[in-house]
Amino acid sequence: MSHVAVPLEAWLLFAAPVAALLIGFFLMRPLAPEKTHWPILLSCAVVTAASLSLAGQVLAGRSFDVNVWRWAAVEGWGVDFGLRVDGPGAAVLAMVAVVGSLIHLYAAGYMKGDPGFSRFFLVFHLFFLAMIGLLTANNYVQLYLFWELVGLASYLLVGHWFHKASARRAALQAFLVNRVGDFGFLLALLLLLARYKVARFHLLYLLVAAGRHEMLPVIAGLLIWAACAKSAQWPLYFWLPDAMEGPTPTSALMHAATMVTAGVFLLVRSWPLIAAVPGLPVVVAWIGAFTALAAALIAGTRKDLKRILAYSTVSHLGLMMLALGLGRVGAAIFHLVVHGFFKAALFLCAGNVAHALRQPTASVDEVGGWGRAMPLTYASFVVAALSLAGVWPLAGFFSKDAIVDAAWERGGLLAAAALLVCAGSAFYIFRMLLLTFHGARPEQKGLAAHPHEAGPGLAAPPLFLALGAAAAGALGPTGSRLVFSGLRGLPVGRLGGDLVLNLPGDPALPAFSWTTALLSAAFAAAGAAAAYRLTMADPGWDWRWRGGRAEAVLASDFGWTTLMARLAAAVAALAGFVGRVLDRAWWDGLLESGAAAARGAGGLAARAADGRLNDYLWWMTAGAAVLLAGALR
Amino acid sequence: MSPLTTLWVLPLAGAGACLLAGRLGRGAARLCALAAAASFLAAALLALLPCLAAGGAAVFAEGGRTWAFGISYRLAADGLSLSLIALTAFLTLVCVAASWTLDVSAGYWACFLALASAATGVFLARDLFLFYVFWEATLVPMFFLIGLWGSENRRRAAVKFFLFTFAGSLLMLLALLALVTARHAASGEWTWDLESLKGTPLGPAAPWVFLGLLLGFGVKIPIVPLHSWLADAHTEAPAAGSVMLAGVMLKMGLYGLLRVSFPLMPGLTAAWAPTLAALAAVNAIYGALCAMAQADLKRLIAYSSIAHMGFCLFGAASGTSQGLAGSALQMINHGLTTGALFLLVGFLYQRAHRRGLSDFGELAVRAPWLSFFFGFATLASIGLPGLNGFVGEFLCLAGIARSAPPVFAAAGVLGVTLSAAYALPAYQAVFWAPAGPGSASAFVADLDAREKAILWLLCGLMLWIGLAPAGWVAFLEPSLRGLVR
Repeated sequence: MSHVAVPLEAWLLFAAPVAALLIGFFLMRPLAPEKTHWPILLSCAVVTAASLSLAGQVLAGRSFDVNVWRWAAVEGWGVDFGLRVDGPGAAVLAMVAVVGSLIHLYAAGYMKGDPGFSRFFLVFHLFFLAMIGLLTANNYVQLYLFWELVGLASYLLVGHWFHKASARRAALQAFLVNRVGDFGFLLALLLLLARYKVARFHLLYLLVAAGRHEMLPVIAGLLIWAACAKSAQWPLYFWLPDAMEGPTPTSALMHAATMVTAGVFLLVRSWPLIAAVPGLPVVVAWIGAFTALAAALIAGTRKDLKRILAYSTVSHLGLMMLALGLGRVGAAIFHLVVHGFFKAALFLCAGNVAHALRQPTASVDEVGGWGRAMPLTYASFVVAALSLAGVWPLAGFFSKDAIVDAAWERGGLLAAAALLVCAGSAFYIFRMLLLTFHGARPEQKGLAAHPHEAGPGLAAPPLFLALGAAAAGALGPTGSRLVFSGLRGLPVGRLGGDLVLNLPGDPALPAFSWTTALLSAAFAAAGAAAAYRLTMADPGWDWRWRGGRAEAVLASDFGWTTLMARLAAAVAALAGFVGRVLDRAWWDGLLESGAAAARGAGGLAARAADGRLNDYLWWMTAGAAVLLAGALR
Repeated sequence: MSPLTTLWVLPLAGAGACLLAGRLGRGAARLCALAAAASFLAAALLALLPCLAAGGAAVFAEGGRTWAFGISYRLAADGLSLSLIALTAFLTLVCVAASWTLDVSAGYWACFLALASAATGVFLARDLFLFYVFWEATLVPMFFLIGLWGSENRRRAAVKFFLFTFAGSLLMLLALLALVTARHAASGEWTWDLESLKGTPLGPAAPWVFLGLLLGFGVKIPIVPLHSWLADAHTEAPAAGSVMLAGVMLKMGLYGLLRVSFPLMPGLTAAWAPTLAALAAVNAIYGALCAMAQADLKRLIAYSSIAHMGFCLFGAASGTSQGLAGSALQMINHGLTTGALFLLVGFLYQRAHRRGLSDFGELAVRAPWLSFFFGFATLASIGLPGLNGFVGEFLCLAGIARSAPPVFAAAGVLGVTLSAAYALPAYQAVFWAPAGPGSASAFVADLDAREKAILWLLCGLMLWIGLAPAGWVAFLEPSLRGLVR
């Protein structure tokens, strides 16, 4: 029986944010709402230190998985809540803590003066807390709890500026689409508990490894469905681009750290279950490849800065799914971490550009040649963009290379898709870079905007994030050691005995391969060259092709968003029919017309009720007294 | 007087005292109601203590004398009964506190206390005649609450409520009579005692007796399509009346199924379980779809009640210990959550005399506490994990997933999914959307200290059950174990 002591850091992960939220809500909000961010920033610092320390401990081989308290139990069937700090969890947690804290810092400057400042910061931190909980959960019920909390926080943040109809609509859409995904998660959870009697990851891995496969294809499929909603994969991706309606720090946090990565993480946690179903991993790979390619294509045609980045996120999440589907769990997590850095940096830069325009967001038509005026933002953007495009020696090169390598090994259409995504990524990000920070185009001349650098509070966080996006690649070997450490010989508290557990698939990052490196570099270069050709060499192109059928097709994401809108309208129409016609007019009407005669009698009763209430109550009391007398005699 | 008798006599005596105090003035009656409700809650919690100490398993019984036809005064309480009585007492106090500023006659307060007394009697009675008497006695005060203190169409709603539930009760009475007569025919002995009636040979009449009870209880739950009275009654009742209606009266239907139908006819219960589960699925989905189409806040919450009771029914139909515990817990959850929502709509109505979804807007800015609590209760109602609603739904559905084909669990989960589709748009319309011309938002002042205190209490309980349901489940489960099997 090995009992594992939970290190202090693990408690701090929860204690600090909860304390900050309570202080923020009960003290700062009523007394000094404009200072709500102080306890919260402090909590961010604590969380960052704690999670880095935990990552170090995991690296040193001290992972743990313990149950802390019994949540609910009925007759030998129980759900315990606990903490699991292992390789994948600690790796993502470290990224989330660092990136998330920097975004908090940015938000303190960006949201200054907003009437909802205090509300924003409280929900923002709740978002952060929910993600921490999600990454340290040791069972599916607990994961679901934080999964839903993440969804709630994103709903409130996307709808932060709720006076805008578009923000309300986007928030609702985000929540409802995620609920459609949660259908899969909740049902999978119920079936797991019904068939396997446990929800704890570790026990499930063991049961599945021992050959228990009851309903596993269904359960694993439902989990993939849930991940498709949260991680914005086709067919449920469309809520994410619309979720741009929230303030920019929200988008940065959602895209980099706290929301969309949850789906990928769910699949990482479920991978031993999914991999046990023959043929299912490939489905994940195909979903990922298809989404990555389509989203990269659409990203190249969007004008709104944040929307370009949103489709870029969808595309990169697709790459992670592709890696997962090919069994490269390590590569998926590595790209998740690196993506967190560069995507957060890009969003904050886009925020700075919009900030200079005093708008919530900006379109490429409104900006151009701003590099000189905003040097720090420009520098951050360039580094992050190069990382995204996969330029050596930035981190994005290594993480993307690991995925391309997996696809190349597999060959066929998946390999072609991965390479095309490389080209597409380079194209859309260079297009965005060139249009925003380089040459002004003819139609922009009349613009009266005065670009200027944001204050240090807004310029510094993206710079740090870009630094991370540049350097995180150096963590490659260490990172992959981190991801896979703790999975072997993980002690499980109160379960007894050391257990050997391997995630199936390739346990380490692939060795550097010149073939894939050169191939992906060539495709990326082609994409970048195309972007230069179509923005700088032929500046009119970007608006010349618009207005035709092609734009209409691309604007509706090849018709998918139109279809989804029709589906939603159909459900609403069904509800309207059931509620107003079937229930009210038909069924209720039938009963009431049938009871027309009885209503006369009812009128009589109502007349009797007019002034004689007290009599009735007295009678009741008297009757009760008789009853009582009989009982007691 | 023995403790269990005290439990139902105390609020009734309070009702009488209110009427007497009413002669002194409205303030005196109100004060009297508060004192009676508070002492009722204290008595309920006191009665709960020994049961808590015994881990929920203890059954306190009181047997009295037997009258003609074997009718006897027989009370008993276990964890399930006592929890529901505590809920009744708590909600009564909440209702009195929430109605504090209303200018109403003594009868209003007396009705609440009389209702609480009758409901307590239902939860305590172990003699079926006594059960029926208490069951019918709940109708009278509720009829007056709706008919006298309701909104515009109160008369019609009150009569509809009375006719529907009375018709249901009559079917129940017929079923009970059939049962008792069969027992007499078999053993030559008249008895209405629940315990002695178990195993009564009914022959070919058995399904009809089961159906009669199901219809009688089903009207109260309500099971679709017996639900037509609910939306009107809820909509027209005064806010506190809706709280009692949802929090206490709907529970009586499910309690009846668990306490009377299932133990009396375990074989038929098992045979009908798939039908019950199908009805539960219809409730959960039909209720949600109807709620999506409503334009009146109270009607919307009323239909959401139908959906929530569907989850309770799922749990009951599953016959598993998870499902039954979830069903019992969900009854309490629904009382707290829907109670809070009805109260909040009542506060809105008290301020603006409107309750349409499109009558408001921007309340998140104008009344931040109102919108905070409304949001909190809404989230509990749509099953956000960490709050109480999720625990109940989860356990009920876990039960049905164990005992029935996955399609039933899938239907339940679909109901959970749909709940967001009616609750959140409504919340957005009232609290987020801009206030249009002619909006009533200008009349809405934020909650005062009394109202906030009530809601902190309710929301605190929601959070407690959501985060640490283990103790609650462990308390409820032993009394359910014996009911089905």
